[in-house]
Amino acid sequence: MKIVVAYKWAPNPQDAEVAPDGSVDWSRAKGAVSEYDPVAFEAARQLADATGGEVVGLTVGAASVDSPLARKAALSRGLDRLVVVADDRLADADGTRLAAVLAAAVRSIGDVDLVLAGDSSVDVAEGQVPMTLAGQLGWLGMAAVSGVTPSADGVVVERDLPGGITTLALTGPAVLAVTTDAVVPRVPGMKDILGAAKKPVEVVPLDALEVPDVVAATTLSGSRPETGNRRGVIIDGADASSAAAELVAALRTARAL
Amino acid sequence: MNVSTQTWIVVADDPAVSGLVTTARGLGGAVSAVVVGRKSVADSVARAGVDEVLWLGEPGDGAPVEAYAGEVARVLAEAGAAPLAVVGATTPAGRALLGAVAARFQVPVLAGLRGATLEGDAVVVERSVLGGIAERRVQVVGGPSVLAVAAGGVTDEGTAAAVREVPAQPLGAARVTDVRVKEQTGVDLGAARAVVAVGRGLKAQADLDLITDLAAAAGAELACSRPLAEGVDWVAKERYIGISGQHIAPELYVAVGISGQLQHMVGVRDAKVVVAINSDKAAPVFAQCDYGIVGDLYEVVPALAAALRAGS
Ligand SMILES: Cc1cc2nc3c(=O)[nH]c(=O)nc-3n(C[C@H](O)[C@H](O)[C@H](O)COP(=O)(O)OP(=O)(O)OC[C@H]3O[C@@H](n4cnc5c(N)ncnc54)[C@H](O)[C@@H]3O)c2cc1C
Repeated sequence: MKIVVAYKWAPNPQDAEVAPDGSVDWSRAKGAVSEYDPVAFEAARQLADATGGEVVGLTVGAASVDSPLARKAALSRGLDRLVVVADDRLADADGTRLAAVLAAAVRSIGDVDLVLAGDSSVDVAEGQVPMTLAGQLGWLGMAAVSGVTPSADGVVVERDLPGGITTLALTGPAVLAVTTDAVVPRVPGMKDILGAAKKPVEVVPLDALEVPDVVAATTLSGSRPETGNRRGVIIDGADASSAAAELVAALRTARAL
Repeated sequence: MNVSTQTWIVVADDPAVSGLVTTARGLGGAVSAVVVGRKSVADSVARAGVDEVLWLGEPGDGAPVEAYAGEVARVLAEAGAAPLAVVGATTPAGRALLGAVAARFQVPVLAGLRGATLEGDAVVVERSVLGGIAERRVQVVGGPSVLAVAAGGVTDEGTAAAVREVPAQPLGAARVTDVRVKEQTGVDLGAARAVVAVGRGLKAQADLDLITDLAAAAGAELACSRPLAEGVDWVAKERYIGISGQHIAPELYVAVGISGQLQHMVGVRDAKVVVAINSDKAAPVFAQCDYGIVGDLYEVVPALAAALRAGS
C-alpha cells in the first residue's frame, strides 16, 4: 500500500502579532510540523508496516516549508521519503489552492492508495484542506477518523461521529483526516533523527505540476477582534482558603454568582 | 464566471439546518437545498424555510454521506448559472460536501463566518481567521461564495417546499459496516449560566471528582480542554471548549489547570467573567482572565468549593 501523508509546516498563531488593521506579523512565530499531523504520520507508518507499504510525506507551501529543519522534523517521524512543493507564490495561498497543488502532487507521485492528514492545522484550524483535496482528486474524503487498521482486502476505518462510532470497510482510494484518538504518535529518538538525513527528498517545482486556476478571495479590510479587556485581578493562592474567600467575594461583587 | 442570484444549501444527512438557512436567506435570492441522506431528512429540510429540495435518493449499501460529495457538486454545476453562494455545515460531513463544491468551482471555502451580506450584486463576508486572532472582510469575485457555518438546529416553518428526487451515484470506495450509537449525554453547555472547565493540570481521571464537586457548588456545568476529551476520554467530547469544540458565552467561566492556548480561549471569548486557577503564574490564561488564583488546583479547588458553600 502506498500512503501519502499530507502535512503542514506552520507557525502557531499564539505567537503571532496582530496589528489593529488585522494584518498578522509572523516574524516571532517559528514553524513546526503542525500539532496534529504527527498522528497522521504514525497511523500511516503502522498501516504501512502491517501491509508492507510505503509512506511518502507531502507538503506544499512557501519556500520556507523546505528548510533543513523542516525536512528533518518530517522525516524523523516514520516517513520513507518526502515530496516537497515549496514556492513563494504559494505564500498566501488559501485552502482550495493548496488542495489543488496537493492533488496535482498526489497524481504525480502516482499509484497512491490512501492520503492521511491531521484533523486540522494549527494556524488555519478549519479542517477543510483534506476534504477539499478529496474533492480535487474526485476521491472519498472523510474527517473525524479515530482509527485506521489493515484488513484482508483494504482498511478498516473507525469514525467518531455525532450519530455514533461508525466502522467502515475501505477498499478504494480516500483522503482521511485523523484525530488524536487514532494513535499515539512517536517522539522521534536520536536514531530517527539521524536516519532522517539519509532519506530521499524530492523537490517538485510548482511549474512542473498541472494545477488548475483557483479564484482567490479578495480582502476588503481587516481588523483585530476586541479581546483582552478583562480585569486581570491576580490572587496569590499560597493560602488556598483566603484566596478562595477573596475570589468568592469578588465574584459576588461582580454579580457573577 | 457569471453568478446567479441563487443560493444553495448542501445538507449531509442532518436535519439541523437553521444556521445554513439563516445565512442563505440573508443573501436575498431564492434558496434551494441539495440533501444527501435519508428521505426523512429531505422532508425535514423542506420545512426549514427553503424554496426547493433536491434529494439524492435513499443511500444504498452502506455508502457514507461523503461518498455523495462529488454528486452534490455535479448537481450544483449542472443546475444552470453558477450559484451566488453555497452554504454548508462545519461538521465533518458538511466539510466534505463543501470541499467537493469548492474543488468543482475552484473557489475558496470561507469558514469562521461572522456575517455574510449582499452588497450590490456581490456577497461580502465577515470572518474570523487564524484561530480568531484576526478578522477579515472578503469577497469572492468570479465564482460562488462557498460558506461554512455552524449547523444550528431543526426548525419547522409550517410549510413544506417540494422535494424532487435526483438520481446520484455514490463513490464505492467505502461501506459502513457498523454504527455503535453513543450514550446521549444531552448536555447543553450553551444554556449553562456557569461552566467549570478542567485541563491537563488534572493528574488522574479519578481526580475529576474534585472538579465536579466545584461545579456542583457553583451551580455550573462541567467542561474541559480538548486533550481531556480526545486521546484520553476522561470527559465526553461534547464538553470540550474551543475552536474545534463548543463556543459558549456563560456568565461565569472557571478554567482549572488550563494553560490558556488561543485554540481553547476562543471558545469563551464572549463569556462574561473568566476565572483562572493555575499553578504557573506565567500561564497565558492569566492574561485573559478577570480573576486568577495562582496556586495548586488540588488545594485551591476544594477551598473554593467550600467558600462557595459557606456563603450560600
Ligand atoms: C488545530 C487545533 C485545534 C485545537 N482545538 C482546540 C479546542 O477546540 N479546544 C482546546 O481546548 N484545545 C484545542 N487545541 C489544543 C490547544 O492548542 C492546547 O494544546 C490545549 O488547549 C491545551 O490544553 P490544556 O490547557 O488543558 O493543557 P496544557 O497546555 O498542558 O496546560 C495545562 C496547565 O495546567 C497547569 N497545571 C499543571 N498542574 C497544575 C496544578 N496542580 N494546579 C493548577 N494548575 C496546574 C499548567 O501550569 C498548565 O498551564 C487545538 C489545537 C490545534 C492544533
